[in-house]
Amino acid sequence: MSSPAFAVARRVRVDAWVLLGLALLLAVVGSLTLGSNPVAPGTVLQALLDPSTDTDAVIWGSRVPRTLLGLLVGGCLGVAGALMQGQTGNPLADPGLFGVSSGASLAVVLGAYLLGFNSMTASLFLALGGALVASVLVFGIATLSRDLANPVPLAIAGTAVTALLNAVISFLVLTNASSLEAFRVWVVGSLGGRALDALPPALALALVGLVLAFANARSLNSLTLGTELAQGLGETLWRARLVGLSAITLTTASAVALAGPIGFIGLTAPHAARALVGGNHFRLLPASGLVGAVTLLVCDTVGRVIGGGQAEVPVGVVLATLGGVAFIAIVRRTKLAAL
Amino acid sequence: MNLTKKLSLILGALVTVLALAACGSGAGTPATSASAPAASGWSYTDDTGATITLDHKPERVAGFADQVLSLLSYGVQPVAVFGRVDVKNDPRFAGYDLSQVKIVGNAYGEIDLEALAEAEPDLIVTAVYPSDREGTIDAKSPYYGLKDLEQQKKILDIAPVAAVKVGGKGLDVIESNAKLAVALGADQAKVDADRAAFATASTKLTAAAGESGLEVTVMYADADGIYLVKPEDEPQTQLYKSLGVKLTELKPEGPYYWDIYSWENAGTVMSGDIILLSVEGFQSDDLKKQATFAKHPALQAGQVFPNAYSSMDYSSQAKLMDQLAGWLTESKKV
Repeated sequence: MSSPAFAVARRVRVDAWVLLGLALLLAVVGSLTLGSNPVAPGTVLQALLDPSTDTDAVIWGSRVPRTLLGLLVGGCLGVAGALMQGQTGNPLADPGLFGVSSGASLAVVLGAYLLGFNSMTASLFLALGGALVASVLVFGIATLSRDLANPVPLAIAGTAVTALLNAVISFLVLTNASSLEAFRVWVVGSLGGRALDALPPALALALVGLVLAFANARSLNSLTLGTELAQGLGETLWRARLVGLSAITLTTASAVALAGPIGFIGLTAPHAARALVGGNHFRLLPASGLVGAVTLLVCDTVGRVIGGGQAEVPVGVVLATLGGVAFIAIVRRTKLAAL
Repeated sequence: MNLTKKLSLILGALVTVLALAACGSGAGTPATSASAPAASGWSYTDDTGATITLDHKPERVAGFADQVLSLLSYGVQPVAVFGRVDVKNDPRFAGYDLSQVKIVGNAYGEIDLEALAEAEPDLIVTAVYPSDREGTIDAKSPYYGLKDLEQQKKILDIAPVAAVKVGGKGLDVIESNAKLAVALGADQAKVDADRAAFATASTKLTAAAGESGLEVTVMYADADGIYLVKPEDEPQTQLYKSLGVKLTELKPEGPYYWDIYSWENAGTVMSGDIILLSVEGFQSDDLKKQATFAKHPALQAGQVFPNAYSSMDYSSQAKLMDQLAGWLTESKKV
């Protein structure tokens, strides 16, 4: 390796981190100062420094929680997406592949159907539990194939379980009005208007998930070379899979429980991150998390501002339109780095 | 659409306009059989202006749950029903015997057309919602409860459809439902008795509203924020307002039907003494979790009452008005 080339590569990466850091800072500042209620920046600052001046609870009751939620959920989904694409060797893999979203949905519906739970708080905890159970189920089915080297059984198990869960959800939702209601309120992914009761447990799970994700980075790098080569490099395949899948499950489950199903970020953040910092998972995972957090916060803020000062445009809609355009631009400008 | 149907639509519209012009505002005109009882045959002009002509009075009626409920209240027995939610578990049907009624749909737009055809209806009744406060009916949209125009065409192949317009004045909607019931053979005496009971309930509500002077906020909420119903745009709230109930009304102009206030702007919707909260979406406990709304005095005082969508017939509405009168009396100014 010639040192000038190495230096250039390093500088590019340093620039990329500076860029990501700045973007994150701007996104946070934007998320705190902009909204559908035009609070003057001075008032925002005053309220942030002295919560007692925030009489309408707009800053501490709405913007601060949704900014934190955006950072956590976006970050988790970005990391989970990179993990999922690395584990399956599939650039179109999405963290929802393991039935996490449908498991969470089914739990919410079942809670309303069997136990009569219809509140947002109950839905949060149900979603968390459902997401965990669904991915354990998928992983269990996949391990039955005894072919952990191959990501295909995992993907098939995930798709099959998702389809099954969705069928049960449709059946229950169509035959029972109260489960329909709980489902309808929960299934819209959003950062605003969310109850935060489940934040402490979700945060704890997310942190464990993130630690596992970084513990999985070396294995993911080996897996990129192909499973046989990875095994030749001394990688214990079942351990690499178990750690990676647990990380995906924990991060996605907490994100889904907190904000409902939010699509698109898990799929696209890793691609943008790969274009910025390359394919080494030690860099790719944090970069993908940062891209995810920035994207979600920016789209949420844009949705608040373009609503016209009274209502807001749901973040999912902004993500799909704005994010879609941005993603096409990334694809057009850079060849998607091969996995 | 073929030429005959087009012509009949235009003709129907003309007839309606003339009829409306003839009776002035048209509000509260007592329902009498609209169909001139011809020697043989049956004809009815619905709220879209379409005139349905059959060789006999429809004996077998199918329809959307909201309209079927109104028919049931006047004693007209349907043969089939499709609902927006599971019909069997719909509490509004609780007092009626559905054993002879075929349930052909339990979710919006999901109608089992074969089962509907098997019920051999002579007529299908449903609702149509205007798209603005002028009462415009979008001909390119299907009737309410139907998935799309393609499905509507298939349904029209089974039997003609009579639509009741749910918009504008509440009393007009109730009257239109009653008029349809009478045309389908409801006992005029039953309609008159229900109307009289409704009048009594109206008087009681007006008195309760006047004595309490409380402001009522009619809303729905979810993660997007608060959907504040515009009293003049929603028939039921329009009815309450016309009877003297004070309703939260922030912007009568602007978007039709309701205004959405994001949770950041929830502080704008704080003036009500009573909240009539839609049974769909966020409920009291969820509202209390919203920091920007948790301080709402009515919420803190526990003066939040359920607002379930009810059939627009005289007896159902009278029951609701009695209930509201009770809430107005037992609640306090906050």
